Amino acid sequence: MRVARWVPPVTTALALAGVAVSTYLTIAHYTDPEGELQFCSGTGTVDCGAVTTSAQSTFLGIPVALLGLLWFVGMLTLCLPVAWRADARPVHLARLVGAVGGIGFVLWLLYAELIIIGAICVWCTVAHVIAFALFVVVVLTTPPLLADE
Amino acid sequence: MTNRKRKSTAAKQRAKLRQQRRAAAAAQAGQEPGGAPTTTRPPQPVRRPGDRRPRPTKRRRSSRTPWLLIGGVVVVVGVIVAMFLTRSDDTSRGEASEGSIDGLTSVPAQTLEAVGVPEQPSNVNPLPPDAAPVEEGGKPVVLYVGAEYCPFCAVERWPMVVALSRFGTFTGLESTTSAPPPETLPNTPTVTFKDSTYASDHIVLSAVETADRVGNPIEDPTEFQQRLFDTYNVESVTGSSGGIPFVMIGNRYAWAGSQYDPAVLEDKDFDQIANALANPDSEVAREIGGAANYITAMICQLTDGQPEDVCSSDVIQQAQAALPTP
Repeated sequence: MRVARWVPPVTTALALAGVAVSTYLTIAHYTDPEGELQFCSGTGTVDCGAVTTSAQSTFLGIPVALLGLLWFVGMLTLCLPVAWRADARPVHLARLVGAVGGIGFVLWLLYAELIIIGAICVWCTVAHVIAFALFVVVVLTTPPLLADE
Repeated sequence: MTNRKRKSTAAKQRAKLRQQRRAAAAAQAGQEPGGAPTTTRPPQPVRRPGDRRPRPTKRRRSSRTPWLLIGGVVVVVGVIVAMFLTRSDDTSRGEASEGSIDGLTSVPAQTLEAVGVPEQPSNVNPLPPDAAPVEEGGKPVVLYVGAEYCPFCAVERWPMVVALSRFGTFTGLESTTSAPPPETLPNTPTVTFKDSTYASDHIVLSAVETADRVGNPIEDPTEFQQRLFDTYNVESVTGSSGGIPFVMIGNRYAWAGSQYDPAVLEDKDFDQIANALANPDSEVAREIGGAANYITAMICQLTDGQPEDVCSSDVIQQAQAALPTP
């Protein structure tokens, strides 16, 4: 079975957008210790600085922004048209596991932002929405590919 | 001979035809021409009018799983957002009305006299008799190491400010609250020492708030503060190793944690606590005022009883008598 024609370009575009946003967040993490990001006010509930400089901005010592970038790059590779066309079951399985694992981490980050830190980072939220959209498309379209083989 | 030849050729053709027919029939019945059965269709149940079409259960379950996953994620997001919207992160508890902080720094001596002291100071540890003097500019030092997120620091700053205000003057004190949930005792109203200054003829306050209310680092301890923290905030002295708040009264006393029950501040906002401090009959005044009287008594040991009007009061004398000795 083949996926619908729109799936490869849409997932590739989503992953590319995720790479762009997480690249910005990663650069900001290393170059701006105050976490003053564009279009993200520094007070109240919307406060990128509070999020990106919090104790939860790293996971096992690795900046979460960098982990996000690596995840989006991985998903980009697995969502290229050539990967969707591949007959190799591991490729489709990796895409599905990646999408589910990624959304699990997004849920933790959302909990950290809203409940532990008490602030939302706009750019992080954009990355989370992209990850969720990617998750929805992948979990709806990948299982039939696995069942076929 | 020719006739016999013709007969055998016709027989061969008939045999070939029969074989082809058999092969065709076998193919229709799902058998290999050789006769070996291949995939046979399971016997179809007899349908009666009104019978429902049998459900392809397995396929349906697998096509439902992605939607269950997506639905699960949406539900979890909803729960987190609901927790955020309904959580009691009420930072308004830390908003002080005009004059509230002044009330905290000028609790009347009569009120503090009236609240008295608990029979024994809680959580206060004497330092070893050979502890080196802790001074800056020739004045004994009161050290505080804490953080804005820390609820017990929030609790302990109240009696500290009340007591220290009897020896000097604070400027720039601002109200705040400790960390939001899920931290213990969330949003406890208090003041922060960050950006405040303290001037006294008798003592020096060396205070550092290492992090803000959500845990972001804001101040690093000085070398002096770090050395005292590492030396005296140890199991053998405070019963803690590195816990905050850490308070040292010169080279006499030290403790980690709060001196009174934080529950008395529960569900109260800054103004309610500040107002209750003025009422010696209130539980808040008894707990905070009692702890403040003990801190005052400890500081009086460092200042040789100065200022006299503070250190010679009955309640401070009583507190000094109850303080532990090394």
